[in-house]
Amino acid sequence: MEFNVVIGLEMHVEMNTKSKMFSSAPVSYVAPSNTCLSLLDMSFPGTLPSVNKQAIVNAIRLSHALHMEISDILTFERKNYFYSDLPKGYQITQAFNPIGKNGYLTLNSGKIIRVERLHIEEDTCRQFHIGNESYLDFNRAGIPLFEIVTLPDITSGSEAKEVLETIRSMVTFLGISEGKAELGNLRCDVNVSLSEKGSNKLGHKVEIKNLNSLANIQKAVDYEISRQSNLIKEGKSIKQETRRYDEAHKRTVKLREKVDAVDYKFFTDPNIPPIKLSKEFIKDAIDSSLELASEKKVRYKALGLNDYDSSLLVNSKDITDYFDEGLKTGCSVKLLANWINVDVQAILNKENISIKEFNISSIELGNLVLLVEQDKLSNKQAREILLEAHSSDKKIEKVLQERNFSLVNDEAKLLDIISELLDSNPQIVTDYKEGKDHVIGYLVGQVNKVTNGNANPKIVHKLIIQEIKRR
Amino acid sequence: MKKVSKETLIIATRKLMMEMSDEEYDKLTSDFETITMQMDLIKDIKGVDDVEPMTFPFEITNDFLRDDVVEETITKEDALKNSKRKNGDYIVLPRVVK
Amino acid sequence: MDYKRMTLLDLHKAITDKEVAPFDLVKYAIELAKQDKNNAFEYICEKEAFEKVKTLDENKKDNLLYGVPVVIKDNYSTKDIPTTASSKILEGYVPIFDAEVVSRLENEGAILIGKTTMDELAMGGSGTNGHLGAAYNPWDKSHKHMIGGSSSGSAAAVSAGIVPISIGSDTGDSVRKPASYAGLVGFKPTWGRISRYGLLPFACSLDHVAYFTRNVFDSAYLLNVLAGRDNKDMSSSFNKVEDYTSRLDDSLKGKRIAVIKEINASISDKVVLNAFNKTVEYLTSQGAIVDYVSIDSKILKSIYPTYIIISSAEATSNYANLDGVKFGNMIDGDSYADLVIKTRTEGISEYAKRRLVIGSFSLLKDNREELFVRAQKCRRVIVNSISKVLEQYDVIYNPASPSIAPFIKSTKNKIADEYLIADNYMAYANMGGFPSITFPIGFEKNMPFGANLSAKPFDEALLLNIANQIEKFTGLANIIAGDDDGI
Repeated sequence: MEFNVVIGLEMHVEMNTKSKMFSSAPVSYVAPSNTCLSLLDMSFPGTLPSVNKQAIVNAIRLSHALHMEISDILTFERKNYFYSDLPKGYQITQAFNPIGKNGYLTLNSGKIIRVERLHIEEDTCRQFHIGNESYLDFNRAGIPLFEIVTLPDITSGSEAKEVLETIRSMVTFLGISEGKAELGNLRCDVNVSLSEKGSNKLGHKVEIKNLNSLANIQKAVDYEISRQSNLIKEGKSIKQETRRYDEAHKRTVKLREKVDAVDYKFFTDPNIPPIKLSKEFIKDAIDSSLELASEKKVRYKALGLNDYDSSLLVNSKDITDYFDEGLKTGCSVKLLANWINVDVQAILNKENISIKEFNISSIELGNLVLLVEQDKLSNKQAREILLEAHSSDKKIEKVLQERNFSLVNDEAKLLDIISELLDSNPQIVTDYKEGKDHVIGYLVGQVNKVTNGNANPKIVHKLIIQEIKRR
Repeated sequence: MKKVSKETLIIATRKLMMEMSDEEYDKLTSDFETITMQMDLIKDIKGVDDVEPMTFPFEITNDFLRDDVVEETITKEDALKNSKRKNGDYIVLPRVVK
Repeated sequence: MDYKRMTLLDLHKAITDKEVAPFDLVKYAIELAKQDKNNAFEYICEKEAFEKVKTLDENKKDNLLYGVPVVIKDNYSTKDIPTTASSKILEGYVPIFDAEVVSRLENEGAILIGKTTMDELAMGGSGTNGHLGAAYNPWDKSHKHMIGGSSSGSAAAVSAGIVPISIGSDTGDSVRKPASYAGLVGFKPTWGRISRYGLLPFACSLDHVAYFTRNVFDSAYLLNVLAGRDNKDMSSSFNKVEDYTSRLDDSLKGKRIAVIKEINASISDKVVLNAFNKTVEYLTSQGAIVDYVSIDSKILKSIYPTYIIISSAEATSNYANLDGVKFGNMIDGDSYADLVIKTRTEGISEYAKRRLVIGSFSLLKDNREELFVRAQKCRRVIVNSISKVLEQYDVIYNPASPSIAPFIKSTKNKIADEYLIADNYMAYANMGGFPSITFPIGFEKNMPFGANLSAKPFDEALLLNIANQIEKFTGLANIIAGDDDGI
């Protein structure tokens, strides 16, 4: 039996504006509870919303990145329902007239996923439960949110994950969200339905709510696809319900029956008359956007970087910023990329820190790479210097002074060492002449052993080839 | 407009997180009959269904947007002052089950 | 010195001439407030007022409001002063911030001496739906006639001479109707002309800050003080604030006035119609052009149900924050839902509950098109028909009520023309945001009644001019209920 898999995503992304969506209280994910509040957040009678300009600019930038039609008139609607985390008894959102619509994003495979709408709304309180009580923290109430809804063009767990990764990359590169799923900046609900291939009947939609990590979304969707297909194969029906992902047991679990959809009694919020967004305003917002990951990759390609290296870099906006800054020293693009992707990343991984917490500046690193390019240091030496500067929290310049590194450039001296090695390993010459190029690397390694890594690699290589050919 | 049943009204009231007595539901049912009769008059107005619904009293667009600047916030004490269900740091409710 | 009748100019002169100090005015006003028998007060701000008068900024003494005692309807947020909107559910609520209107008044040196009673949550037009019981009409010591609502206490306070001005709110006619019943000037400026920040929202697209005075000049002056953009209220207007007192005495010659025929035709009280006609004769004699125009009575009859549906619908949303969790009179329960249901059931009155259910019902998916959306469409039809008249005329002019204040214990035929049209037409000015003013034009059985003028949005200066000229003709300014024994 073959199935059509139909998946749609609904994502909520918290913005990193300084103040909240409709009030000027600060946005903070870490401040002590109930310390980032305005009168409006507590819904005190008579308080009124005031729309945050930066939130609109952010929405325009993201809509543009998703190739959407951007509305030039902003209106807001009220979504009315009662819940403990909703102070006003309604959420201000955009139901009738989202700021962005009819867009798309492109997966690595080239497949297009259509994005139906992007709108702006406000977040709810945070509540947590201890024993038989629930505690309300209003800090989060009113934080600006994007809601992004795709059409059901997604057909697998890995595609779903890639969509979320793409959105995360966009919002972090645009600088409009921290994009940290584990902090709740990025939340996702998925709708999965299956139908038999060839059948016109659409399967019942199952909603999986509150997926909070990129890894989980793929696992949850894959599990759900197999759960539903097994049920269908057994001749059973799929119930329309809401489920959640049980990480411990690696499966989706029923949360509740999909009851008759709640009637939110939407109507336009009369406290916010329509806001006109001029062409200039929209153009300025777009023109002043930061580069997306895809745009950076294009730029890196033009600089000569290959796809593999630039893909590694664009995993993190902060890493690309570090890289871009380092390029200002004029060092080799490829070398700097390698140093960051391999050596620096190894340190970051080992110590579980971010590039922002790394104590070697990109300019320092760029200059170090320049020294290697100018044959003033070998790779090995440069690595040692980097590690020492980082671990003892010193500037690279200081370490260079202290250690007094220099390269052995003396060709005669190096030739002596090479000749000696070839004398004791005549097999190398034979192997090379038979086309076994790898022996060069072996010999370079032996030279480095003798010179403690201080030999100028270019000269060593040149002399080795020269000497072997002579023999 | 179809007649509104008492059961429908009880559900609508409940959804608004309120309850009413039987007498009040009877009065409400009668209110609905009155408003239904009054709304029926509207159906007869020529062209009423051809115009756009009106939310605001007149055409008004502003282009004002608030600058993204943090201003004075209220203290935790002030925020929680008026709540009868609080400890020092939070509003506390009986455990909320979704 | 007959304090109770004094205008703002009179009071200002008395203070400037050092006949009386602000402290004395405030003290006297508070004494009068305490003796009030019309149930006009939720709270008398005795302590707070004396504090404020002590710290009055001498630099403000040129303002007409300097040292003047005022009261405000209890649906305005007042810092550290209880605010209940006359509802049990808000008993005990003490706000931590002032409404914009309150700030502006205090900035001018006015002294708030009380919060006044109202129909609960601003819903109602009789003045009898507050949690402290009915407010009465100072014109009727037997307390049989209502004062109307929902700004009942504010009307009572001014017509009893306790204060010269009081702030109310007008969503359907809640200042302009009681003004008619209490012999006052009741003025509702254009929507957005005065900031609504801090006014408990009942139906935001219809709510207006509005107020009572005893003469048109005071209304005009107060607009100078209160009007103007407030960034905290996104619906407040950027339109320039004029000096609204500067054109009050402009000539009536050539001014174009439309009387809506069908409204007058639905009134049976001949005393009211005669008094109204006399003012029309005067207008004509001064060179104004008064025409009787027609608006389809089906449209006029639709004003009231349109108002009820839209205001009730918006109200269910605006009052959804009244759950006892963050503030208010919480009744505890053993779950969130239980707590909220108990609090709202106990704390909101029958009448208000019924209005809220009607509103909620009309927003539900199944009913939305037929009720809420149709009402919104009808709103446009109503507003278009009024705007069309105002394209050809400066103002629309009609009696403000079909008769004097009804008895509290009276029932009305809610389908009759008189009810639907004459009694409830003034809500058109809320629907289209038109500036609108009621002022007294006569008496019947010792009870006052008034007439109403409405103009194009932001045309307040012209509106006040015409009202002022009619007031000069009738001489019915600065009247207070009863005489020596006052309240």
